[in-house]
Amino acid sequence: MSVGVAEILPGAAGGLGVPDVDGEISARSPLALFWRRFRKDRLALVSLGFIVLLLVVAIAAPLIVELLGLPGPYVQNLNLTDQFGSPLGPSGAHPFGVDQLGQDVMARVIYGARVSLVVGILGTAVATVIGVFVGVIAGFYGGWTDTLLSRFIDVVLSIPILLLGLGIGAACAVRGCVAGTIQPGLGVVIFIIVLASWTYIARIVRGLVLSLREKEFVEASRSLGASNVRIMLREILPNLAAPVIVYATLLIPQNILFEAALSFLGVGVRPPTASWGQMIAAAAPIFNTAWWYMAFPGGALLLTVLAFNLLGDGLQDALNPRDRSMTLTVSGTQTGQAR
Amino acid sequence: MRPGGGRPIRLGGLVSQSGTAALAGLSALVLGACGASSSASTSAGVQSPKTESLSRGKQGGTLTVLSHQDFEHIDPGQAYSSVDYQAIYATQRPLYSHEPNTSSAPSPDLAEGPPQISNNGETITVHIRHGVRFSPPVSREVASTDVAYAIERGANPNVANPYFQAYFSSLAGADKAEGGPIPGIATPDRHTIVFHLNKPNAQIVADALVLPLSAPVPADFARKYDAKKPTEYGNYQVASGPYMFKSNGEGKVLGIGYQPGKSAVLVRNPNWSASTDSRPAYLSQININIGGDATVIGRQVLEGSGMVQGDTPAQSNVKLAYERHPSQLEISPGAGDHYIAVNNKRGPFSNVNLRKAFWAALDRTAMNRARGGKLVTDVMTHFLYPEIPGFAAAGGLEGPKVDYNEHPEGDTAVAEKYMRLAGYPSGKYTGGKTLEVVGSTGSPASDDAEIANQTLENLGFRTKLNLVDSSVMYSKFCGVPAEEIDVCPNVGWAADFADPQAVLDVPFNGRNIVSTGNNNWGQVNNPAINAAMDKAERLIGQEPREKAWAAIDGELVADAAAIPFDWDKQPNIESKDVAGVGDLWNVGSWDYSYTSLK
Repeated sequence: MSVGVAEILPGAAGGLGVPDVDGEISARSPLALFWRRFRKDRLALVSLGFIVLLLVVAIAAPLIVELLGLPGPYVQNLNLTDQFGSPLGPSGAHPFGVDQLGQDVMARVIYGARVSLVVGILGTAVATVIGVFVGVIAGFYGGWTDTLLSRFIDVVLSIPILLLGLGIGAACAVRGCVAGTIQPGLGVVIFIIVLASWTYIARIVRGLVLSLREKEFVEASRSLGASNVRIMLREILPNLAAPVIVYATLLIPQNILFEAALSFLGVGVRPPTASWGQMIAAAAPIFNTAWWYMAFPGGALLLTVLAFNLLGDGLQDALNPRDRSMTLTVSGTQTGQAR
Repeated sequence: MRPGGGRPIRLGGLVSQSGTAALAGLSALVLGACGASSSASTSAGVQSPKTESLSRGKQGGTLTVLSHQDFEHIDPGQAYSSVDYQAIYATQRPLYSHEPNTSSAPSPDLAEGPPQISNNGETITVHIRHGVRFSPPVSREVASTDVAYAIERGANPNVANPYFQAYFSSLAGADKAEGGPIPGIATPDRHTIVFHLNKPNAQIVADALVLPLSAPVPADFARKYDAKKPTEYGNYQVASGPYMFKSNGEGKVLGIGYQPGKSAVLVRNPNWSASTDSRPAYLSQININIGGDATVIGRQVLEGSGMVQGDTPAQSNVKLAYERHPSQLEISPGAGDHYIAVNNKRGPFSNVNLRKAFWAALDRTAMNRARGGKLVTDVMTHFLYPEIPGFAAAGGLEGPKVDYNEHPEGDTAVAEKYMRLAGYPSGKYTGGKTLEVVGSTGSPASDDAEIANQTLENLGFRTKLNLVDSSVMYSKFCGVPAEEIDVCPNVGWAADFADPQAVLDVPFNGRNIVSTGNNNWGQVNNPAINAAMDKAERLIGQEPREKAWAAIDGELVADAAAIPFDWDKQPNIESKDVAGVGDLWNVGSWDYSYTSLK
């Protein structure tokens, strides 16, 4: 037996029918209900639009750069620096100016979106899969399995992840780690992000599963002879969808920021790959003479993180309208406050 | 390691130059030395160590030094960076030292006269001045035994002097030395010290007596500190120079005259006598504030009063100083070099024609512009750098006339010619090898690495560029032959003193290749060049050495042993009321014994 989101989400079950033209009550699907609530949140809608636009820009980066008449992101032209090697500022040919190598900042910001989104979305996706898997196992089986997994999560959570990231980044530089499985650059960054993120998902999922496994529909399924695996896959998992989606959406901007931080500290993606964090790091020493080099990638980073956070808030409100006081915390930092 | 070394430049460049960057010279472009000039970098009023007055300073006053970089060591037996040397040469007196405006002719300092080298090149005799006294609490006259102990402690594992092995290993019995007496050092009387060598390389040993290891250390005071691992003599020290770290009655400096990461205070040495020293020592006190952001520090210095920046200013502040405060900017050439080490032993670059193609294709002007442009760099055209004897004979600024060296902005046609000679008819590399390129993080090194990487890709190579911390680059990759790194685009060298052997021997002599801590990054091992170096090492006197080492430089260029791109010039900034004097021999770093307030 399966239940829909409407059955378990507060507010999703009662009072949701609307009279049809004949005066009868017709039920709306959970998705329709979600969309009805979500579209009222204009900030979330704008954020969604921005993120979609960003995705399009990232996917079509080469085409967009060409359409804008910009040089490629890796085209070096030291003639675009002054006699001291300081980069030249925004101009018609280079709307965002150039960097110390004479590379077009706008083209690099556009290409940098690829790194941020790949790291943010892929890293969060992998972390979510691992977190959900561990959380479901721990919460569903309980007992020593729960104890073991929960203590392991506690151990991982107690690791200073930025310092570990710096260590792994340095150790995996050049030759990679784990017999070459983790390659320097993007691979290392995603590995670190997954390592840092999955535990939070696992904890939340475990808590939810502890509650769900006692529900009547689970008992009913069990009494009908369903196996544990079937119960987890068919009864528990669908009911985790909403909170996990909300949480993952709020995790993405954190991971984008984490990638930027790692790149800023020199253990992120490998040059010449454009990354916003790397650009900000390179711009820091020359900020007083080349503000544009920090302002544009910094602005892109800010808007992207803000958009994901606002979207996450909107999703939370739409999927969880009763619990408006719920606060989600990622990496010890408050990231989403239901409004 | 064989004698004749220098220091790898760990963090070259305007923003982050390491204390390990070394000797300085005069700006050829800015100041018109060596027959070159540049309108781009010429500015009326920019200072140079060669033109600064050494004798008309105002007596007294306190100088404030702002430095975002801390000392590495303040023990003369351990110090090995330009920032260390600023304090060491104000507080200690080695046997010989350079006046600020010269790097090629050392003057007797603690010594009474020039070193006497025996005809067979195996004995050096030095007489020591009378009347030089240690600071309190020792306060007695310096004796030859103090110099002997100072050098002997360099072999003490607790001191681990970084260049003892390079320059003093030919002392008789040095191979077994661990801090105790070395048979090759004799002190026949209180003011004479004699060095007996087991091979005729007296010239390089005598040259090395300008290093702080030859500054006297009183054994009776220091021995108990040297027994600790690591030695604590730096924390409890005495001075022989005009200044001393502020200390208590027991000579304790730590927490009083030096707080690591925070500050240091140099005060007058009450036992210093001007009659025994040529240094004027104008200042009453030097307060060194450590830490802070380089960009902020630079602005404070330029707009403030009574200050100098103790380490390399940020690139933006050099630009600001040049444009708005030129008289507060000092530029010194001869501050070392940067080049691209390519693996001569294995991989594609074991083919000399591929090395020449890379040399020809590289836009060295772009590399230098990334480092701050002509104001602070010259295009490197060969391996002996400005202010090093033999530089002019080796070709000066223009360098040897070979086609792959003639166009610093890069010459695609010449590059393709050598690609074809290397066996690639299309002019592009078509081998299957992906080059492993390991450079250093942080601008401008990372910028140079990216330019070099792009050049390789333009030549058809597939590359894997990795940037790691400068120290990791040297210690884990470029300095470890077993790693088989193909290209190290950010290596650099600065000689310990102005002798051509100190520039060329360690980085290019095949006999110096070691399994770890290797400074011959390209594993250059040309038997003819090795033999020529062995011969040149034994020459006595500047002229024959210049000639021999300049010829070796030519052979290295003909072999394209590495891909040169930058001769460094060091910028320094000061407040408008400071008459700062930089040391040409120490990357232009300030010399507190000559600096004064206006």
